[in-house]
Amino acid sequence: MTTDRASEPVASSILIVDGDIVSRHVIADYLRHCGYAVVEAANTDEAMVGLTEPTLRIDVILCDVSALGSQSGFELARWVRTNRPELEVKLAGGVEIAAQTAAELCESGPHLKRPYEPEAVVGYIKRLRASRLS
Amino acid sequence: MQPSSALPREASFAAARKCVLVVEDELLIRLMLSDGLRDVGYRVIEACNSDEALVLMGTSVPDLIISDVRMPGSLDGLGLLAVVRETLPTLPVIITSGHLQATVATADGATQFVAKPYSLELVIKAVQNELAKAL
Repeated sequence: MTTDRASEPVASSILIVDGDIVSRHVIADYLRHCGYAVVEAANTDEAMVGLTEPTLRIDVILCDVSALGSQSGFELARWVRTNRPELEVKLAGGVEIAAQTAAELCESGPHLKRPYEPEAVVGYIKRLRASRLS
Repeated sequence: MQPSSALPREASFAAARKCVLVVEDELLIRLMLSDGLRDVGYRVIEACNSDEALVLMGTSVPDLIISDVRMPGSLDGLGLLAVVRETLPTLPVIITSGHLQATVATADGATQFVAKPYSLELVIKAVQNELAKAL
């Protein structure tokens, strides 16, 4: 895996919501290596703790659609869009799960594939930053 | 959650490449501790319970574990400690708790006990001391 540390200074804080410790650990490690600040949440309840903590900066949320917790990943995304519209949410999931929820996802384009493809995640974050700056 | 400015800069060099596994079910505490340890140069892997910790340890063995006691999951912190002691008897394990007595934790094999609530500096110094012994 290559990294983009030199070209991408720490500017974004990414919240990863994923109950699979291996998936979460791999993508979190990669993003930190690329220079991003990362908050790891094992489920949507932990994510809500982070999202409602006023001192914690979060810019982008990567959320497994199948994340466990009081809310599903999809419900968490809807909560964020309603209550924290300044945040970007990207749902991630396998093809089958993505297809099941695609009808409800009208705001944010295609899913990220999961297991994560680290370069694709970084590419997404970079495009997001570029679109915000333009 | 600010970087720990009270810690000596040389700690970063000593910390290079050492990996600390933080096992804590409270997100904000885990984040404070993990980011604080990263700020002084450690590589940190995070687990929200003992089950996640054991999965991570199956992929790579950390140089030190910091674990809370009361956590959801198959094992509490002392249960995790018991498993670690069976397989990795010399691995430093720091137990943190707001409910447990230090003597209980150390009798069960903890290398150190840190009572909650704790300061970040205190835990980082405990980590540094333990890893310095291991050199």
